[in-house]
Order: sequence, then structure tokens, then C-alpha cells
Amino acid sequence: MAAHLSRPSVEPILPAPRKCDRERGFAPIRRFLRGVVLAQVWRPASPALVPFFGLALTLMLTFHAGAPWAAPRALVPASEASGSGDDNPAADVGAAIFRHGIQGSGAPLEATRDAGVRLQGAAAACINCHRSSGLGAKAGSSTIPPITGRYLLHPRAKDMGDLDLPYVDGIRADRDPYTDETIARAIRSGLNSEGKPLSYLMPQFDLNDADMTALIGYLKRLDKRRPRGVEDTVLHFATIITPDADPVKRRGMLDVLQQYFTDKNVFPLGATPPLRSTRKMMFMVNRRWQLHVWELTGPATGWEQQLKQHLAAEPVFAVLSGLGGKTWAPIHAFCEHEEIPCLFPNVETPVGGDGDFYSLYLSKGVLLEAELIAKNILDADGDKGVRSVHQIYRAGDSGEAGAQALAAALKHHGIAVSSRVLAAGESLAKALKGGAGTNALVLWLRPADIAALGAIPAPPASTTVFMSGLMGGLENAPLPSSWRYSTRLAYPVDLPERRRYRVDYAFGWFTIRHIPVVAEQVQADTYLACGLLAETLSHMVDTFVGDYLVERIEDMLERRILTGYYPRLTLASGQRFASKGGYIVRFADAHGVRLVADSDWLVP
Amino acid sequence: MKTVIQSLVAALALTAMGTIAPLAHAAGVSAISAPDPHAHHHHMMSEIMRSTVDYTPPPVSLVREDGKAVSLISELNDGRPVILTFIYTTCTSICPMISQTLSQLQSDLGSDRNKVHMMSISIDPEQDTPARLTEYAKKYGAGPEWQHYTGTVEASVATQRAFDVYRGDKMNHNPVTLLRAAPGKPWLRIDGFATVAELLGAYHELVAAK
Repeated sequence: MAAHLSRPSVEPILPAPRKCDRERGFAPIRRFLRGVVLAQVWRPASPALVPFFGLALTLMLTFHAGAPWAAPRALVPASEASGSGDDNPAADVGAAIFRHGIQGSGAPLEATRDAGVRLQGAAAACINCHRSSGLGAKAGSSTIPPITGRYLLHPRAKDMGDLDLPYVDGIRADRDPYTDETIARAIRSGLNSEGKPLSYLMPQFDLNDADMTALIGYLKRLDKRRPRGVEDTVLHFATIITPDADPVKRRGMLDVLQQYFTDKNVFPLGATPPLRSTRKMMFMVNRRWQLHVWELTGPATGWEQQLKQHLAAEPVFAVLSGLGGKTWAPIHAFCEHEEIPCLFPNVETPVGGDGDFYSLYLSKGVLLEAELIAKNILDADGDKGVRSVHQIYRAGDSGEAGAQALAAALKHHGIAVSSRVLAAGESLAKALKGGAGTNALVLWLRPADIAALGAIPAPPASTTVFMSGLMGGLENAPLPSSWRYSTRLAYPVDLPERRRYRVDYAFGWFTIRHIPVVAEQVQADTYLACGLLAETLSHMVDTFVGDYLVERIEDMLERRILTGYYPRLTLASGQRFASKGGYIVRFADAHGVRLVADSDWLVP
Repeated sequence: MKTVIQSLVAALALTAMGTIAPLAHAAGVSAISAPDPHAHHHHMMSEIMRSTVDYTPPPVSLVREDGKAVSLISELNDGRPVILTFIYTTCTSICPMISQTLSQLQSDLGSDRNKVHMMSISIDPEQDTPARLTEYAKKYGAGPEWQHYTGTVEASVATQRAFDVYRGDKMNHNPVTLLRAAPGKPWLRIDGFATVAELLGAYHELVAAK
């Protein structure tokens, strides 16, 4: 079992203190139970939780014996035929209202809350609370219900077991079904299908009839997205490797991924199909995982087309991990265009802003390093102030993106920035001469170039040298002793002694499974990506909607304790880079890997 | 079997509540703790809970939206009545509600607006840089009496703990507004979505009693 890595969420256990939902009765307990049952898939490492874990197992076994009110139906048919309504203009109006808060007329959506608080435009859009999937979320003790058609229109059910719908937090069983008329009343007047007031959080919207029809059509259309790569017993995932990816890292990453999938599939799969029925949701959580390795070829301009062909041939639910070289932009674009979650690839140059949705990254890579170096330069005292910066990077490598980001960050601060591109095979010595007279030198170089510095005299003490830790090999960078006094490393991960307890489990896992450790961070990050996916999926039960996977990761990531190389991972709507900071460090000794941090963890 | 499971579940749930519930009041409620008598006035379901509590703010340094490092205690103790909340800028459900309410409270305070200090502290401080807080403050029309604060994760968590609003992660956070008439006075804590009118009423009560 690969992913015993997280602390249990307390959220299902805490009774919602002032939940004004008339259904509250058993709902908290049911949620609590569900948390426990699912917990068995991945929980937890802490000894303090062992008794809890034991109880979870007991309960799990009890459930297998046939708990009567436990679970939603195992597998819901993905949807009716998809593809209807895509070219229907009314549906686009519905999408614009839901996602952007724009009415059919182009005017901003208007809404008020009780007590007169007004909302307008994007701030009033449904997507804020109900999320891109329309499946809602939990925010503190408030539960935001799912509002896709089938969650509103389903017939009244006695309990969750009788409800033929994938489970989400805000699901409600014993309520009159909505009709188009009562949905409209809920949106305009804040009354539910039974005429009772909705939550205080739900605004009342001012929508004309045509817009209302379009919006309700969109809510129904949300159900028609057919999940890709989801079969009754198999979940398909892909990993993507660019042709310029480092071959050693490629092997290291694939070893981890393949072993993780093997381990995942050994766990209690057993005779799945015969047991699949309403009450046996547990088994469906354990679909087999299948990995597809998509290796790209040729120039980057052709990658997106290749990926579309791969996706057509091998539909996958999500892209997991992956390995890039100089650019990841075509893969990022593919994920956004195809609306496919792309989870935590190993890339030094992630692209896209916080406004994109489907690509999640562990950190901003060299772009974060550039921000850390810029902060260090700009925060320096006036006396030591840097007036000019000279950067060196090799053509066709990630350093170019780092150098551009640093130049941009220093641009409006009166600092002269020059950059020198080294062609393949060109020696470093000559390029360094061009930097004479600048008072900061920034090296975006790989270990071979760093080692070659030994033959070159270090610059005078008045020059601060910065180097990319990620490109140079972090604490294993072969920086010659003569350069160690003046050189600082951008270090966008936690310090070795502090991250040890968070990566030991992964490295022990590699050792036991005879996986050679050839690229420590790539392999630890790959293992982390797998663990995050496994953990999130175990909470999604059978709700296989790509957007919902992304949303669950956004919401759950912060609870993770074993965060690998990173001290803390957080995401949210509009956050796409999970670790946000780093250190500027020096080597402590003339030889060896001991580091000294210049300051506390910095968030630029 | 069903009965067995249900009793097991009930026992577990009770145990869990028993373990966790006291944490929720760790800060020690000193005076009253009662449902808001006006709660029934709400058309929708905004139930609030008022309590009077003594909190000891930690001696931490925060970073204000203008980029300046400030002491939390000095910011709280500048002599003005304080209205304190906790938010994060990428929050899409609870925090916009809180910030919209404070935004309107600013104008409804009338001439008292210049006498109060409204403080919103980020519970997602690594994301909420001073620049993002400035943008957020602008979005809600924050006047000179309303500041937003970030800082290290440690400083934010210590502050949240001191005011008993720390719930492990930002998605677990619940709406809480804290009001205090003057340094040395106890805090009035309002759990739940307090309306502008309720906050205004609470403010006038506190200031009149000062």
C-alpha cells in the first residue's frame, strides 16, 4: 500500500455546529463514517492514529458484511449520450452566466443576499461557490450543494443507499425533486424545492426568462460530460515525456510510476466485477490503474497534435507526473484545451498563470528561483546594493526562462541586466570574462558547467554569484571550493535536514522495491504526485469528473503532512503552484553537501 | 448487524465530538455564550453566536498590505475600537461574504468610520502577498481605517490560534468576526455570518459600554 501518507481530515468528524440544514440528522455521522471507510485506502502514518485506523478496518469489514445505509450506488452510468447542446447558443449563455457572471445581454449578472449585500458580474457567478464541476464543496461548516441537473432532479430517496448518484459532500437524498420552475425560484428567490429558505450564502439572482432557461440548460449539460479513461474496473492515466527530457531522470521517473501502479494494483482488488452492486462501493474505489507513457518526438510545435492523437487512441482520466526539458508550454496548452487534469509534472519551466485550471504544479521551478534571486538582490542593503547583473545560460536549456524572469523582475529597479547565451560546446571561461565589472553574476547552468568553474578563478569578493539550485543539482552541485565563498544557490525546496522526515518514507519505498535512486528530487516528486492522486481519488469515491478531481486536490492538498521536498503545499481556485517559496543558501564547507541558509524561508 | 453498526457509529461519533469539542473553546469563554436573540429576524439562515472572550494576542510581526512589517499587538492596541476578521484572497465562498459585509459596514458606520480600526488577517499568507492584499482591499473599497495583513505561516497560525479560529487548513475556516471597544477590554466574538446591521449594533453596544 503505497500512500499511507496523510493525516486524516477532521472535517467529517466535527459535527457542523450550527448547520441549519433540516437534513442534518444523521448526515454528519454518515459523512464521518464515509471518511473512516475511505480512510483505510491510504491512511495514516502517525502512531497516534493507529487505534483510529484499527477502528476504520473494523468498520470496513463490517461494511463488507453488508451495511445497509452506507454507500451510494457503485457505478453510475457515465451519462446519457454526450455532445448535445455544444453548438446551442443558449448553452453558451448558460455557461457565461455560470462561469463568468455575464448575462445573455452581455450585462453583468446581478444578485443580492439577504441583508442587502449586492453582488455583480464575476463575483456573482455560480462557479465561485459551486465550482467548475457544479458539484459544490465544503467550506468550513458550510456545505455548498451540487447543482448539476441530476443532483437537482433526482427523485426523493430515503437515504444515500437508494440514491443512484455519485457521492459528493453536499448531496441530498430526501428532498422533493426540483423542476425547472422550482430551480428558477431557487435562483431568483432563494427557496428550495419544498419552498424552504436556502442557505444564507446563496444569493438571489436577477435573471430574465431566456437567461434562466439557458442557465438551467447548462446545469443539465454539466452532467453530459462523459469521463474519459474510466472503465468499470480500470482507471487510465498517462504520463508525458518530451524528447529533450534528461534520459537519467526519465528512467528514474518511469521506475517510480511503474512500480507505484504495480503496487496499487496488487492491493485488494480481488474479484471486483461480481461484487459490484449498490452496497459495494468499497470495491469500486479500488479500480485498477493503468499507465500510458506518451513519449513526444520532434520539435515542440508538433507536440500538441501528437498528444491529441495519443488521447484519442488511449483515453485517460488524467495526466500524472511527466518530464519536460526546455519548454512545457505545448503540454500545458493541451491540458487546458482538452480539459484534462495534468497533475504535478517534473518541469523546471512551468507555464501559465493562476488563471488556468487543469495544470497543477508543485512549484514554479526556475521562475521561482528567479523571483528568489530578485528578492535577495532588491532587499540587499544600500551599501552592498547590486547595480548590474550578468547572467549566463546555455542555449536550449531551462536557464533561458529563468534569465528572462529575473531580467523582468529587476527591470524597473534601475539595475542593468546583461545576459550571455552559451552555444553548445562553447566554453564557460570566455563568457565569464564578459561579466567582469558587474556586481552580481547569475549562473543558470548544469553540473558539468558548474564543475568546470574549478579551472576559472572565482570573481572578486565584491561580486555576488547566484546559481540555480534546481539546474545545478541542489546540494549535490559540484561547485568547486574556490567558488563556494562567493556563491549563493537559489533553493526552492526545503532544507535537507528539515525535509528528511518527509522524504524518508519515499526513499525507503524505493529501496525495498529495488528502484535505483538516480534523480532524487524527480523521483521523490513523482512519488508525491502518485500519492496525491491516490489520496484524492479515494475521497472522490466514484465521482469521476475531471474538474472535480482538480477541485478536490485544490481543497485537500493543504492537509497533507508528507509533502516531500516541500515544507507546505497549498492550492485553491486561482492557485496553480503548490509550493510558493524557497531559500537562498551557501555551502557551509569547502567540500561536501552541508548548506547554510542565508535567511528564513522566503516567499517572493 | 445494523444495530451493531449504528451503535458503533454513534459511539465513535460521540467520542469524536467529545474529543474535539473542547478544543473549539480552548481560549476560554469568560462571560456569556448564547445564541443571538435577533437571529430569528433573518429571512435566510444566518445563525450567529455571540460570546465574550479574553484573548491574548501573540507577540508576532505581520506584514501590512503596504509592505510594512508591523507588530500585531501594536496594530490592535492603537486605541481605536477594533473589528477583526480572517480571510484569504482566493477564497470564493465565505471570505467574499465577510469582506462584502465589512465593506458595507464602513459606509454604514457614518462618522464613526474614522474612529475604528478594521483588520483582516490572511490565513493563506504565502499566497497573499502584500500586492495581492492591496488588490483585494481595493476590490472591496477598503478605506484608510481597514487594513489587511499577511506574514509568515507561523505568524498567521499563531494569530489564528490565539483567537481560536485556527481549523487546520483554510478550507475548514468558518466566518468569525471579533470586536473590541478598546485595549484591555474583552473581545466580543461573533461566529457565523453577521450582517452589517448586527455588526453595527454590536459595535455601538460595545462603544457605549466603554
